[in-house]
Amino acid sequence: MELDKDNANPTILNPSDLPSRRRELAVKKREDGGTGLFDELIPAYTYLNDPFDGPVSSSDSDDDSVEDIDEQEIYDLISSISDPEHPLSLGSLAVVNLPDIHIQPPTNPLSSISTVVVEITPTITHCSLATVIGLGVRVRLEQALPPRFRVDVRVKKGTHSTDDQVNKQLGDKERVAAALENGTLMGVIRRMLATCE
Amino acid sequence: MSNIQQYLLDYDRNKREASATAEKTATRLTAKELKLLSLIEELDEYLNSDDGATRGKTMSYLAEVLSFIPQKVLSIQQRNLLCDFLLSRLDDSEGVGFCARALMALEERGKWDDNQVTKIIEALLNNTHPLQQYRLQSERYSVLRLIDALMAKYRHALQALHDSTPGFMTRFISYFDGEKDPRNLMMVFSILRVPMTEWNIGADAQELFDAVFNYFPITFRPPPDDIYGITAQDLKDRLRECVSSTADFAPYAFPALLDKLDSTSMNTKRDVLTTITSCVAEYGPRTITLYSITLWDTLKFEILNVQEEDLAVEALNGLAAIARTLSQQGANGPLQSYLRPITKECNEHLEDAPTKQSAAAARILRTVAAVSPEVTNIVSANVLPNLFLLFQNADTMSKRRGLLEVLVQLIKANVDLFGSWRALGLAGEAPPKNALVEFRDQALEIMSDGLNSAPVNEVSFRLACLDGLLQLCKTRELLSDQAIGDIIQLFHSIVIHEDSYGKDEVKEAAINGLVDIAHQKPQVVVDKAFPAFLAELPDKDDETSKGYITVLEAFAKLASEDKIFDTVVLRLKNKFSSAVKQDASSPYIVALLSALLYALNQGSERLQKDPESSPYYHDIVLPLLSRTATSDASHPKAFDNEPTLDLVGRICNLIIRSQTLEHQNNVASELYTLFSEKPQTDAPPLNATLAPEAGKTMIVSTHLLASLRKEATLPVELQLLISSLVEYSQQPELSVPVRSASLSQLSLLFNKFVPTPAVRSQIDFLLNTPIELFALEKLDPPRIRVVFAVLKGIVLRNSPLLSSLYPKLLSFLSHPQYGTVVAHGFATLLQPDDLLIKANHCQISGLHRQKTFALLVPSIAESHRSASLDARPNYLIALSGVLKWLPFDIIVEEVGQLIPLLLQSLDLKGEDLVKEAAISTFISILQERPKLAEEHAGSLVNRLIDNSTPSSSKHPIQVGAATGSISTPPRVRSTAIKCLALVPEKLKREVVLKYRRHVVTKLSVALDDPKREVRSAAVKCRRIWLDFENDDDDD
Repeated sequence: MELDKDNANPTILNPSDLPSRRRELAVKKREDGGTGLFDELIPAYTYLNDPFDGPVSSSDSDDDSVEDIDEQEIYDLISSISDPEHPLSLGSLAVVNLPDIHIQPPTNPLSSISTVVVEITPTITHCSLATVIGLGVRVRLEQALPPRFRVDVRVKKGTHSTDDQVNKQLGDKERVAAALENGTLMGVIRRMLATCE
Repeated sequence: MSNIQQYLLDYDRNKREASATAEKTATRLTAKELKLLSLIEELDEYLNSDDGATRGKTMSYLAEVLSFIPQKVLSIQQRNLLCDFLLSRLDDSEGVGFCARALMALEERGKWDDNQVTKIIEALLNNTHPLQQYRLQSERYSVLRLIDALMAKYRHALQALHDSTPGFMTRFISYFDGEKDPRNLMMVFSILRVPMTEWNIGADAQELFDAVFNYFPITFRPPPDDIYGITAQDLKDRLRECVSSTADFAPYAFPALLDKLDSTSMNTKRDVLTTITSCVAEYGPRTITLYSITLWDTLKFEILNVQEEDLAVEALNGLAAIARTLSQQGANGPLQSYLRPITKECNEHLEDAPTKQSAAAARILRTVAAVSPEVTNIVSANVLPNLFLLFQNADTMSKRRGLLEVLVQLIKANVDLFGSWRALGLAGEAPPKNALVEFRDQALEIMSDGLNSAPVNEVSFRLACLDGLLQLCKTRELLSDQAIGDIIQLFHSIVIHEDSYGKDEVKEAAINGLVDIAHQKPQVVVDKAFPAFLAELPDKDDETSKGYITVLEAFAKLASEDKIFDTVVLRLKNKFSSAVKQDASSPYIVALLSALLYALNQGSERLQKDPESSPYYHDIVLPLLSRTATSDASHPKAFDNEPTLDLVGRICNLIIRSQTLEHQNNVASELYTLFSEKPQTDAPPLNATLAPEAGKTMIVSTHLLASLRKEATLPVELQLLISSLVEYSQQPELSVPVRSASLSQLSLLFNKFVPTPAVRSQIDFLLNTPIELFALEKLDPPRIRVVFAVLKGIVLRNSPLLSSLYPKLLSFLSHPQYGTVVAHGFATLLQPDDLLIKANHCQISGLHRQKTFALLVPSIAESHRSASLDARPNYLIALSGVLKWLPFDIIVEEVGQLIPLLLQSLDLKGEDLVKEAAISTFISILQERPKLAEEHAGSLVNRLIDNSTPSSSKHPIQVGAATGSISTPPRVRSTAIKCLALVPEKLKREVVLKYRRHVVTKLSVALDDPKREVRSAAVKCRRIWLDFENDDDDD
């Protein structure tokens, strides 16, 4: 048993209560309110499809519609990161929460740079690993978002005894870069990111 | 030369000849040509030799001779003499192993008396103690086998020796000290297990325990060239059996085991936990009473702070085993005092639910409670009052949810033990009183209230309530039908009245819950839920609301429960009739038909079992068909719609296809007229001059034709039918579904109804004038369709004609005008089909895919090379059409040669399906035969990157060009990226390394893809390539 855990008994959220995208989609897709149970009655390869009438398009009809990167997508990217202390995801520990993710659009019309602000909530106020978690979130987003996004990860105000210090560390580009050079630290972060889907 | 001399000479040179010599001696002894005495005398010289090796070999000779002597040759005196002689040889340290073997051989030739056994064991202990002094493991093995045999056959003699000789046990135990060879250890463990289980070991217990426990934990790993095949697991199992063999070990075993549980090695902990579990099961309730609380205090940590999941499971098994052992004596004091600290601690953890530890507490309670009715009753009495109290005072929903989950687990344990309405539980037919009865009303109340009044966004809380109520309904003889009815009402009002929220998990769970309850209490569900559902289904809908869809979906799902299947189908059928009578809207009628089809699909096995007695033919099929065929008031408007007719056809098909031939012939004769009393010549396809509207019944006819057995009598002569269909399907004004239906009928005819000897003549009929199906100058799209429809029918039955038809077909690929159309047709040949299936009595050869592959793919590859530049894409399209449907193991042997063609397919413009199929093939190649892709890695990576973005870098979309038609669709983009992600995983590092930087940079474009699906694939793929870089840094 590892006795050095800061919080050995954290509260866990049920996966059904975590925000997810599928909910909205399922509802939007079917205006009749059904679950699509009967759609599968007719197999995909029915004889009524005619392969000769020009190749049946392999893609959905709404090919041209654009699905923008939104807060939920950011949440999906980082909520599956695992906590360095527990084999649990940051989402189920409520370290990252959908309402604490904000995308700020470009400040002037000429620039294409958007900023993603993520506020994390440590499970307890003296969590010594808050910086590591913040760093993990930052690394994940920098790997997964296109270059037009700037990433700003901070600890939510009032949820950590030394949140100013932690935020300073996370906001300091050079310190972040130096931390990423540290092999042990990167090892920890790689393990955290290993559960990402 | 005497035999012994010969033997000694051969011993090191040729083992087999040496044995032959010994056998000769044995034969001479048997034939009385040689006296036993003279044999021994002959040996005397060598047995007293100064050379130890010679003495050893001589003993080996004697052992072999004895083993060749048949039974009953040696008299009892001779055997006694030999035995004494052999024992006297034990003081010689050479040849002890052979001496033991000789004794074994002797024993096999006649039983010993107790006295002799005692003498043997004493001689062994006196002369060869400790066994470890003999260095050869095979020598020790022979001795161990002798002792093992003695233990097996002369148990009482040895036990008597132990009882009468103080200190015997000590000598016996220490005799095996220091054994390390795995094969010998297996023997030692099994020898020592006899005294452990059977003898009165008293004061020797600790010594005996230490003798085996010294080996704990087993860390042995068998050498790669191990000839005995003993695994670490064998040793572990046997050691565990020893440790758990007698309750006398308890004072030594538990402290030692618990001590080792602090080990940092997971394997050790695993061994400790399994050993504790088996000790608990074997030692018996009296002993376990003494240790139960100590064990709980230690084992709980493995569950509250999970290190490895399987350790937690094993610890839970241990806790359950203790409860099981203790409840052998009923719900007495020891069981109570074991469960008290458990329930106390779990109660404490429940106070701050939902946390990691409250979840662990739930697991503990669930596992322990499922052990026996006594345990579950005690646990319920200790936990539930507190749980209800906490629930009442809880300040958050999530806490209440956490508490409910524990309650649900306890009810589940209760169902396991006391059974459900339709199945007995572990406690059997006459279980003791169920303590849950006392808490029934309270549990029912909080969960019903919770489900009813909690806001819809409390998904997990309501799911817990729902699950709990469902479990209560299941529990045998717990709730009255009245109470179950109330729960059913709660469930169906969720399904019917509640607004949709989120993923609708609660609604789905409610429907599934109803199906579950229907399994237990079908009549209550029919009485309570059916009227509610049917009340929501109007006879005539108001066309504005489609609320009936959810209700229909739920209702149709209920058909999956066997006991109420008939009722569901009947009610749906009635609803359908009245809807038609009331002239309801088409969408509503379609929905009712869909529900009916879904319900019938659920019970299709049932339909097969008993096709004749089912009323569905008269009740459903005939009315549907006559509605289809007439044009009077009974023909709903919805039936003018082709997809609706498809549903009608499918419903009829399901019911007819399992009927007997005689029954089916009734349908067959009305195949095209559909019981409309019109002459057949006025029905399609025989009358080709009909208005296109009249052709719609063909869709229903197609399903009927599909349902018939191949022996059924067709209403028209076969050749006439074929030629009519060929002509009919080429009519230009036919709607697409009707045309497809007619073509499918052709496929069905050629698959089922053309007898094997007639295939050639029917094909010839199509090839010759007047039809001339394969004439190049007559080629046009309608004829191409006919060609592929006919071929599809005979491909599945693997007709030998294919080898002559395929080359003609391939030659069409270079047709300047219609080559591309033909190329697309190849995708239809092996495409899975919902009509041509075994259930529809079609002839489907297991090898048809292999055959088509062998006949087509090599020639396509061949012709591609010689084809003109313009025609080449056609070959690639045809190739992908064939490959698309083939399982990878069929193409695996040839796939190396196809890679260049597949790479070219990725450059085709506008052929998205072809690209997608090619990428899928590459995915299979990378997964199964990565080596083949290695030399093409560069071209593959570049092409995949090209296909990963909407506009490829090679063909940038020109401004103003035809609406950017070469843009790559999202499906291809995401498949390409998924394939790209496999490259670093499957190919050799040195092959891929050089593309790393390029891929990572290029993929950042896909990270900004307009489609979410593509972005998510790109994120995963990029991570794999990035990690790959990191691995490199580690090296």
